[in-house]
Amino acid sequence: MFESNGAGLGIDDLDGDGDQDIVLANLAEPNSILWNEGGLRFRKQSLSHGDSRGVNIVDVDGDGRQDIVFTRHVLPPSLWRNLEDGRFSEDVLPGVEGKLYSSNWADLDGDGDLDLAGAAYDTALEEDLGYNFMFTRSGGGAYAYENLGGGQFGYDRLSDRADALALLLHDLDSDGRPEVLIGNDFDLPDQTWRREGERWVQAQPFSKTSHSTMSLDAGDVDNDGVMEIFSTDMKPYNHDVRTVAQWRPLMTRTPHETFRGDPQIMENVLQVRDRSGRYRNEAYERRADATGWSWSGKFGDLDQDGHLDLYVVNGMLAADLFDYLPGKELVEQNQALRNDGKGGFRRVSEWGLGSHASGRGMSMADLDSDGDLDIVVNNLHKPAELFENRLCGGSSLQVALRWPGSENTHAIGARLALHTSDGSFYRDVRVASGYLSGDPSRIHFGFPQGATLERLEIVWPDGKSSRVENLRAQTLVTVTR
Amino acid sequence: MANGSGAARLSRYPLLELLHPREQTRAVVLLLALGLTGWGALVWAARMPVWGATSILVGLLLVPGVRKWRADLRREGLTVMVLSVILTMQGFHSLEHLAQWIQYHIFHWQPQRSSGLISAANAEWVHFVWNWGVVFVVALLMFRGIRSPWAWALLAWTLAHSAEHTYMMVRYLQVKQELGLLGEPSVSAQGLPGILGRDGWLATSMLTGDSWCGRLPGLTTTMRLDVHFWWNTGETLLLAAAGHAYLRRRAATFSQRQDWM
Repeated sequence: MFESNGAGLGIDDLDGDGDQDIVLANLAEPNSILWNEGGLRFRKQSLSHGDSRGVNIVDVDGDGRQDIVFTRHVLPPSLWRNLEDGRFSEDVLPGVEGKLYSSNWADLDGDGDLDLAGAAYDTALEEDLGYNFMFTRSGGGAYAYENLGGGQFGYDRLSDRADALALLLHDLDSDGRPEVLIGNDFDLPDQTWRREGERWVQAQPFSKTSHSTMSLDAGDVDNDGVMEIFSTDMKPYNHDVRTVAQWRPLMTRTPHETFRGDPQIMENVLQVRDRSGRYRNEAYERRADATGWSWSGKFGDLDQDGHLDLYVVNGMLAADLFDYLPGKELVEQNQALRNDGKGGFRRVSEWGLGSHASGRGMSMADLDSDGDLDIVVNNLHKPAELFENRLCGGSSLQVALRWPGSENTHAIGARLALHTSDGSFYRDVRVASGYLSGDPSRIHFGFPQGATLERLEIVWPDGKSSRVENLRAQTLVTVTR
Repeated sequence: MANGSGAARLSRYPLLELLHPREQTRAVVLLLALGLTGWGALVWAARMPVWGATSILVGLLLVPGVRKWRADLRREGLTVMVLSVILTMQGFHSLEHLAQWIQYHIFHWQPQRSSGLISAANAEWVHFVWNWGVVFVVALLMFRGIRSPWAWALLAWTLAHSAEHTYMMVRYLQVKQELGLLGEPSVSAQGLPGILGRDGWLATSMLTGDSWCGRLPGLTTTMRLDVHFWWNTGETLLLAAAGHAYLRRRAATFSQRQDWM
C-alpha cells in the first residue's frame, strides 16, 4: 500500500469490473486511486491534487458511474466526475461553498435525488484561516445542500458552529427520512437535525453522547431490525499502570467542563433504541466503551457468524499534548471487538488486527472477491494498511442494488433484510460512516455456514419494496429495479 | 474515673442522647456560626483552599467536642466515649462524601474536582488513613464489649472498604511513580477506580472483566464517587445500628441491676 497521512478513504467499484477499488485521501500529497486488479494486487493512479480529508464515492450526476467527492483542507469539496475507463475530470459542486470536513449523501428531502450534508471543523478552520466576519457565512458550521437538479445545489444552514469529525445520515425515528447526525469534537455537543416539511429542526434523541466524537456508524448489533448507533471517543482500553500514567497528563490538561444537562461523556457510546423509540447508551454494559484514542470505528461481520463485529483504529500524535511520551506519540493497538451473539462485545487479539500504525480513516469491503470483509486503514505518517480476512468463518451473500433511470442509481438509503434459517440480518446502503471514510455501496451479509437463505427483502429509498428468493451463499447478487 | 453507667437508662433513641452536645451546645452553635462565616471569608475572599478552611473549622469545633467527650468519659466510661467520638467523626466523614456527591451531581463539577471539603488535600491519603482508622476503632470497640450481629457486619464492611482503599492507594502510588518516570511528577494520580465501580478491577481485569461479575448493575457500573458514597453510607448506618444495639443492651442491663437492688 502507499504512503498517506491519516486522512479518509473510500472503497467501491469505480470501473464496473466487479472488483472493489480504493481511494485514499491525502493531506500532504496527491490523492490516489488504487485500482483493484484481482488477487490483492493494486495499480496506483495519482490524482492531480491532494490537500484532502474525507472521501465519498457516490454517483453525483446520476449517470450510473460512481464519482468521487473529497472534502478539502481549507477549500470547498472537489468532485471527481467518473468519465468511464478509469478517467476522471475534476469539477466543483456548484452551490457547495462550505469548507467541509465531514460529508455524507442521501435523499434528504424525499425528491428522489441525492443531497449532500456536510459540516466544518471550525476550530481548525479558524486556526488555519484566521477568524473574520466572512467566516460564518462562507466557512464554518453545518449545512444541508439540496440537490436542485442540473448539477446545482442550494443550501440550508443547520448550525453556525461545528467541529465535525463525523457525519452520519440515518433514519433514527423510522419515518422513512434520514436525520443528520453531526459528531463534534471536544466540548461542542453532537447535533441531530430532523427535516420537518421544508425546514430543518434540531432534535435531541440521545441522553448521552460521546464528548469528542471522532466517528459515527450504524449497525444492527442484536439483529432485532433496529440499528444501533456507535460513536468513538478517547478512553484507554487497558487499565495497567503504564497506560493509566500515559493518559493521566492528557486528562488533566484537557478537562471536560460539564454543565447542567450536559449529555457528553468521554467514552465510546452505543445508542440502543428501546420499544418506545428512546435511545439509551449501552456501550459500557456491552463492553464497547473503551478503544483508546479512537478514530474510525465501524461495524462489519468479520467472522461471518451472523453478528456484526466492531473494528476501531486508534492512536494519537501531538507534540503539545504528548511531549512526555517517546516520539510525542500515544501508540495504541487497533481494537477488534467480536460480537458475542447477544449484542455485547469482547476484545479479540487473535484476529491479527492489532496494528500500532495510528489509523485514521478505515473501511471494510471484500477486496479479494472471496466473500468476506477485508479492511483498509489510512494511517497517520505511515503507509496505509490492508488486512486480508483469513478468519475463514461462516459464509456470505453480497448484494449490489442498481436503480438505473433514477437520480439515485446505487439506491443510497435502501434498507435490506436477509432472512435465513439462522435468523434475519439487516443492513442499509450508505455513502460514508466512521471517520471521513466512504463505504462501498455493495452490501455484505455474513451468516453461519450451512444456513439456508430464505429471501432477501429490499425497501428502496422511495419506499417501494422488492423480494428476492432462490439465493445462494458465497455469491454476489445484483438487484436492478 | 466513672464506672461507665452514670447515664445509662433505657431510652428509645440512645444515640441521639449520646451525641447531644449537652452543656457544650452553646459553644458548638457559636463556633459553628463563627467557623462557617470564617470559612466563607477564607475561601472566597482570601482564596484559601477549601480543605485548609475546612480544617480550621473542624479544629474550632474540636474544642467543645473534646470537652464533651471528656464529659462522656467521666459519665459513661471509655467504651461509650470512643463510640461517641467515632460516631461524630464518621458523621463528618459522611458530610465529606455528601459534599462530593453534591459537587458532582448537583453542581456538575468534573469527577476530579468533586473532591469534597477536605479530600482535596489528597483524597487517597485522607480516605486510606481514615478507613483503616475506623477498622482499628471498630475492632477496639468490639474488644471492649460492643458485640452484636451489627458490630460483626460493621467490622466486615469496614475491612472490605479499607481493602478497596488499599488497592486504590497501591494503584495511586504505582501511577505516581510511573508519572515520575515520564517526567510528569506533578500530575495528579488521585481518583482512579478501585476494585468496585465503573472501570474498577472487577470490571476490567482479565479474570472477571468479561464474566458476569464484570457488569453487575451498580456494583461494577457506578462511578467511584457514587460507590464510595454508598460504602460510607453503609458504614455509618452499621455503626449507628451497632452503637444503638450496644447502648440499649447496656441500658437494659443497668435497669435490671437496679430492679434487683
